[in-house]
Formats: sequence, C-alpha cells, structure tokens
Amino acid sequence: MFSSSQFESAPAFTGGGGGFNYSQSTQSADPVPTSAKSRDTQPMVPVTAKQIIEASQSTDDKSNFLVDGAIVSNVKLVGMAFDKAERVTDVSFVIDDGTGRIGCNRWVNEAVDRKEVEGLSDGTYVRIHGHLKSFHGNKQVVVFAIRPVTDYNEIANHFLECIYAHSCNARLQTGVLTPASSSSTLSTPSNGNQKATSNQFSQEYNLDGLNNIDKLVIEYLERPSSTVQEKGVHRDEIATQLKVPMAKILEAIESLESEGLIYSTIDEYHYKSTSTG
Amino acid sequence: MDTSNPAVFVNAELLRMYVGRRVRAVIQVLKSDGGGTVTGKSTDEQQLVIKGHPPGPLSTFVEVIGIADSNQSILAEIWTNFGDNLDTASYNQVCQLANGDYKHLFI
Repeated sequence: MFSSSQFESAPAFTGGGGGFNYSQSTQSADPVPTSAKSRDTQPMVPVTAKQIIEASQSTDDKSNFLVDGAIVSNVKLVGMAFDKAERVTDVSFVIDDGTGRIGCNRWVNEAVDRKEVEGLSDGTYVRIHGHLKSFHGNKQVVVFAIRPVTDYNEIANHFLECIYAHSCNARLQTGVLTPASSSSTLSTPSNGNQKATSNQFSQEYNLDGLNNIDKLVIEYLERPSSTVQEKGVHRDEIATQLKVPMAKILEAIESLESEGLIYSTIDEYHYKSTSTG
Repeated sequence: MDTSNPAVFVNAELLRMYVGRRVRAVIQVLKSDGGGTVTGKSTDEQQLVIKGHPPGPLSTFVEVIGIADSNQSILAEIWTNFGDNLDTASYNQVCQLANGDYKHLFI
C-alpha cells in the first residue's frame, strides 16, 4: 500500500504540469504501433537530454523510443539553445540542459513559425515541445513549439517534473502497480481531488490547480461542438459563449497554454485542448 | 548528441565534490567588485566566489555555468540572469536530487 498511496499524488501532478498521462506508459506492451497515432494523442513527457540520449529504440517498431521502459514519443525539454542555424524552411539548434546536448529541428512554414524562431538566440533558456525522432542514426527532436523561459523557476520545476515522471514510470515498470490497480487508484473517490464524474477528462487530469475561468475555458474547448472544429475555437467565440470579459479569457488562455493544456492552432486566436487533439 | 560535458547542478555543499569539473549553480549576488570577482550566496546559504566577467548588469539571482575552481569558487563561462524573484529552496532541492537518488537522469 505504501507505493500505491504514493501513486495517488499522480493526478495532482498531471494537472499541474499539463497534458501528461502517465497511465499511458502502461501500454508499452501494446503491440499496436503508436507511431500511427496522431501526436496529439501522445502524452508529453518531461525528460532530460541524457534520458533521450540513453533511450533505446523499441524492438517492435524502430520509430519508437523507450525511456524508463515506456514508449516516449513527445517530449518536453528546458535548456539553453546553441548553434542556431537558419535555413529557408527550417531552423536547427542544439539544446543543452546541463545533462547533455540534443539536436533540434523546427520547421518554418508560416510567419508565426518564423516569429517563434526569431526570438531564439544562442545561450537563451527555452522550453521546447517536440517529437522524438531518429535521423541518420542520430536522435533529434522535431520541435513543434519553442517558448523562451521568462520565469526561471521553470528550470527547477522542469527537472522536478522529469524526476517525477521517471519515478512514475519506474514504479509502473517494476510491476509494483499493475495497470489495473493504477487505474482503480486514479478513480478512487478516496483521492479527494477527483471529481466523481464519468467524464474521462476529469479522471485523467486534475483541474484543481486552475481557477474558475481556466476551467470554463478548458471545458468549453472539450465540448464536442468545439472539438469538431478542425482549426480550433476562436477566442472571441469563447468569450461570447461564456459571457466572460475578453481580458479574463486572455489571462486564462495564457495560463492554460503555459500549462500545456491548450494550444494555438492556425493563429494566435484559435485554440484547441491538448487532451482532445 | 553529447553527454560528455554535463554541467552538474550544485550548491556550495556539493561544489567540493566537483572541483575541476563543469557545474551550474545559482547564487544571490551580494557583491560585484567589477574586477572579475562576484561574491554571492549559494542556494544552501553559503558564500561562493564567482570568477569571471559578467557580460552585463546582474540581477539579484544569477546562474553561472563554469568550472568548479575550488571548494568555494567557480570559474564562470556562462552567466544567466534569473531575475529578482527565485525560489532558491526548489533549486537547492534539485541540486540534491540531481546528486542523489536521481543522479542517473542528470550525469
């Protein structure tokens, strides 16, 4: 019981840290190649560069990587950018997070992408979200988002997240918790943080760390009427529908985006929830 | 891909284990003499001397990456201003975890 009570802290973390779902790591034995799934359905795992470099390729599907024995497809890294090289269609750089260096590549198709890489300069701390890939035998990260670090507490926070994610996976791998018991732990009412709804979202993510408007916005984006919108929901629509002043909506969007719970789509006005893709 | 030259998270206590190696530490700047020495307080509240010339004005909290020069000094290569508001206790915890049970994730 010792370890399962520790595991109960997992939902609190997944809420605070954004769109992770470590329970997915229990599917590492799943023979279905996960590379076929869209990146949006994959959990975003906080890692150190050293973990990526030491990650092994999964035996059944060479496009998958195993970190702590779990398939890791999308990663979050925080480190310093170096060796930036701009080309017409992409920008490459190296992330050094103090544990190692890993090559990164960001495709630049649109003006908004260009703007994102313009802010990138050697020696600045950035948070990157990307997809782990092997290219000519070298592991690299195909980056979807680069955000400059402005609050430097994020660095300590990121490494604590890495440790936490590692601990969760390590515990699952050692079989102390079987997938079945972990899911029952997650939904157990004794974990006072959980809302007793059948909504899958509230079981996987803990929204208690969010304020009310954040919750309204994420719930709005979770609605089927929102998720069917290919390009996401315009922020004006969110404000009008929720009858909340735009300033509050913008605040909520900023905070949800930084938590990794939502992301901007075609432009900075349209948003989608990371959990629904 | 390269893990050959990691910069280990250290506080003053851990610094002594890495003399001659690459480290990263956060200090609260106490005194900058303008002559290549900055005195600061480590995240475990001891005095550290940072040798080198900062590229510009320093904020209250600064991260330096460089070579551990002695038990109490670092030869800085990279200076990063961490602003005037930093949770040094968390950073100190990371130093301890990165040198303890979770060392294998870092170095």
